[in-house]
Amino acid sequence: MDCLTNLPFNKKPPTKIHVDLNSCFASIEQQANRHLRNKPVAVAAYNSPNGCILAASYEAKALGIKTGTRVQDGMVLCPGLIVMSPDAAKYKYIHSRFRQLFSTYSHKVTPKSIDEFIIDLEGCPSYKRGMHTVALEMRKRIKDEIGDSLRVNIGIATNNFLAKTAASLHKPEGMDEINEVNHIEIFKSLNLKDLCGIDKGNASRLNSSGIFSVLDLYEASSDKLKRAFRSIMGHHWFYKMRGWEVEDIEFDRKSYGNSYALPLPLSTVDELAPLLTKLTQKAGQRLRKAGYKCQGIYIAISYRDFDYWHVSVTTEKALFDSRDIYKELYRLLCHSPSKKPVRTLAISCFNLSPYDIKQGELFEDIDEKAKLVEAIDGINERWGNFVLTPGRMIGTEQLMPERIPFGASKEIEEFHNSEDELRYESVEV
Amino acid sequence: MIQKISAPISLVLVYDHTARKLIPKKLKWEGKTHDIIHVDLHHIYRQGRTLQHVFSVASNTMFFRITMDTSNLQWTLEEISDGLPD
Repeated sequence: MDCLTNLPFNKKPPTKIHVDLNSCFASIEQQANRHLRNKPVAVAAYNSPNGCILAASYEAKALGIKTGTRVQDGMVLCPGLIVMSPDAAKYKYIHSRFRQLFSTYSHKVTPKSIDEFIIDLEGCPSYKRGMHTVALEMRKRIKDEIGDSLRVNIGIATNNFLAKTAASLHKPEGMDEINEVNHIEIFKSLNLKDLCGIDKGNASRLNSSGIFSVLDLYEASSDKLKRAFRSIMGHHWFYKMRGWEVEDIEFDRKSYGNSYALPLPLSTVDELAPLLTKLTQKAGQRLRKAGYKCQGIYIAISYRDFDYWHVSVTTEKALFDSRDIYKELYRLLCHSPSKKPVRTLAISCFNLSPYDIKQGELFEDIDEKAKLVEAIDGINERWGNFVLTPGRMIGTEQLMPERIPFGASKEIEEFHNSEDELRYESVEV
Repeated sequence: MIQKISAPISLVLVYDHTARKLIPKKLKWEGKTHDIIHVDLHHIYRQGRTLQHVFSVASNTMFFRITMDTSNLQWTLEEISDGLPD
């Protein structure tokens, strides 16, 4: 018999606050430019007909424009749509300001994505003032100190998952708590696909196991959920739905990668080589900055006809120089079976090990190479990225602008480190 | 309409040391002076090691994105917008 059938809902008073900036990129653009407020605004990866909309303002959402809508479709839905290009530095800065503000309440502030934070008040002096009081104060301070038109949803619960669910109950600017008393009523009001992590596929798996509602999901045993999800995830869902924490686990970094959605339908190796160089330079620099070298590389190509090809190899020796990583990737690219127009090119470095352990080579002076790479990185850091680049990158200056990762907390952590030094230099306005 | 610009500009600014606030008040570009009514966002980023201050400001009818390069204290108008679609 399953011993985890009757685990009760977590009776501990809620200590977690989930804060979610609504329509993040579009809201920040409307904050910066007040003449865009109360207008349909979309931030798109590219301001071209096929560009993908990354964020839509409330006014645009009301007209049916969503994240993922193509710009040309958005223009059909709303001919007056104002389409903007993303400004990564601006969004990172706002993210950083949010983090600083939340850090005044708790030392346990976890960014879940560029626009979502979990603040755990357990054991913090601010907890004694009351969760709702603190949450409302956070919202007020965001408006007073960061931007008066920024609106956030707030959720309060005993674990990250239910706090996020609570934050999504009433948009915009909702504030809800899911606790031992009200959880059944709230679960009754939700559909399975309202829950973060339940997409069409998972909903279908659950349906085939006789789970059709959130209440069914809550009442299902751990074993039943494991069978339904066909993985340990079912066990995690069993705990999550009852308010127990299963997400407070830190995973080590496994890889560094970059990808690029091509605005033009390039297809030959010669055409793709400059882009491959730039992707490699970006990933290599991040790899070294984090103190790693790699002994595995991966390349993936998705074609415009939705075909897909990818391959990974473990290399004989550890790589840290972008030029060496490029050579290996180029060799793989040359073996790609199709020379069709490419939609997305992606690369990744894996099998990471610390950069400072350098094994000598018989035919190559590794120390000399390391010094050269460090010197190039130093120049690029001093004068800005890509001031010193391989000649193969000529012509890519305007391509591959910096992008903001969605929901990738490891990438978010990367720019926290670079933003830390900025916070002390900020002058208030 | 949003228009990218890259033009040096003159500014009238106020610095309030008690609040540590720098407030652009007037902007002169191409011979015309615009009164800045709102400073809606101020953010910073690094270009190499050079810190750039970006002020998103508005007059009654126009938006201006202005930047200060801290390596040479030069101010540049980078973008204007009237808030209307292209």
